[in-house]
Amino acid sequence: MSRSGRWILCAYLVYLVLPLYWLFSMAISSNADIVGEFNAFPAAPTLANFAEIFSNPVWYQAFGNSLTYVFINTLISLAVAIPAAYAFSRYRFLGDKQLFFWLLTNRMAPPAVFLLPFFQLYSAIGLFDTPLAVALAHCLFTVPLSVWILEGFFSGVPTELDEMAQLDGHSFGYFFLRVFLPINRGAIGVTLFFCFMFSWVELLLARTLSGAEAKPIVVVMTRTVSASGLDWGVLAAAGVLTVLPGVLVVWFVRKDLVKGFALGRVS
Amino acid sequence: MLELNDVRLPGASVAFAHTFAAGEISVVLGANQSGKTDLCRLIAGLPTRASGAVRIDGEPVVAGPRHRPVAMVYQAFINYPNLTVAENIASPLKARRRAQAEIAAAVHELAAKLGLEHLLQRQPAELSGGQQQRLAIARALAKDARVLLLDEPLVNLDFKLREALQTELRALLKASDTVVVYTTSDPRDAFALGDEVVLLSSGEKLQAGAPIAVYTNPSSLAAMQLLSDPGVNLFERDGHTHAVRPEHLRVSTDGELSFDLRVTANETNGDESFVHGVVEERDWVVRTRGMLEALPGDVLRLSARHDDVRRFT
Repeated sequence: MSRSGRWILCAYLVYLVLPLYWLFSMAISSNADIVGEFNAFPAAPTLANFAEIFSNPVWYQAFGNSLTYVFINTLISLAVAIPAAYAFSRYRFLGDKQLFFWLLTNRMAPPAVFLLPFFQLYSAIGLFDTPLAVALAHCLFTVPLSVWILEGFFSGVPTELDEMAQLDGHSFGYFFLRVFLPINRGAIGVTLFFCFMFSWVELLLARTLSGAEAKPIVVVMTRTVSASGLDWGVLAAAGVLTVLPGVLVVWFVRKDLVKGFALGRVS
Repeated sequence: MLELNDVRLPGASVAFAHTFAAGEISVVLGANQSGKTDLCRLIAGLPTRASGAVRIDGEPVVAGPRHRPVAMVYQAFINYPNLTVAENIASPLKARRRAQAEIAAAVHELAAKLGLEHLLQRQPAELSGGQQQRLAIARALAKDARVLLLDEPLVNLDFKLREALQTELRALLKASDTVVVYTTSDPRDAFALGDEVVLLSSGEKLQAGAPIAVYTNPSSLAAMQLLSDPGVNLFERDGHTHAVRPEHLRVSTDGELSFDLRVTANETNGDESFVHGVVEERDWVVRTRGMLEALPGDVLRLSARHDDVRRFT
């Protein structure tokens, strides 16, 4: 690689990493240091901000709430989308293409459109302010997305494989769980990643459908700015902790992601 | 014994019946879209546009593919990509809950037969095309079914592998009293493998019988065409269409019948030559031994024996 190419890459890396570094640097600084003089490195590193988060129920419960609804959402999305995508990829039925397209159109509306109906509906049936409410609302977006991603991968698996399992004498359940799902691990990894990411970072529905009880972390972060003035350090620490689950998910599905993003080029 | 009755393949105007004998290899020969795959799927009980009644050893078969005594090898190399070679071969035995020791013994026996012993712990993706299809055949044999269907199993292999596997297949498949149905579009497979050949055209059965008998006595022009590669040469005499095979023409002047061929192309592979040309305004091809010196524009005098010419009405 040429010298200038290397420099451009390095500059790009700095550009990508700088905000993360700054966030981390703030998270281990005191408020006085943050608003004081400019420092490239924290003058007096401290873990007080993290301690505050792990000792204050407003913070750690918010993390718990977020993780709960993200988990429920991912679980429902995969549980519903895997059979649906299989059906779309394997069977021709009346209106299958229209149904598939209709699923996708759900994804085209901005979440804000659904705020009012969801709020009203959930209030009426007592679902308001629960992690389940947020998880279900997010399903409206993650399920179509999941079906769409999975259908592409499932269609890449030849139907003959399904038939061969039958000819070998295996039940459908055996084939599906022991053959079909394992060979689509990459696809499921990618789908899981997208569901998680959507649900974890989504703010609008999460804020509207939760009150005091099920308040998610993204909401607590935005409210802290206005409520308690400028607690920069704690806010930055919360930011660091919010980035972590995403990193963890990517870490665990990284091999499948590589395969999955290759989109069928790896058989 | 596999009896088919009232079989209607897609695109066919008439139904047909056929009985495949146990312990014999029946080669179903037909061009693309002639209904070979639909025939296999009908026998296997898989979804198909074909319809018909299937009886195996006299018993009507109506069960789904899972409960039929039928094994199948597809044209594409279909194996379980997430299982090893050994697990793939064991799959049909496992489905029938055979004892571990019995499965292990069968796997080793089949792997040895198909030359896969040293590959048992590999995944199908790590095998060559030929090995993948051997694996598919091993798994089909492991089921030890009454009927074994091979749907153009060698088409996706390269030339040399195909020849090698073809010879092995005959020995392998003849060793049992299974009904073997082997579909192909290559007439050579019929001679190399078949105890019987069934000619299929546009979903209709043209003729069936021992390959040599069908070759020497084709019942129709279509049947003769199907069992000839390259195609037969046609000419008109006394208001009837006559046909002669490319290999029955000789470049000489002293035959019972003579033709003048105006050469348009000449392909040779050293061992054989195919001379293309025009006779009586029809496209002909002549197959001769060795190299033949003929340039486009040349006129060759061809001769044929009366016995080699078929007359069709």
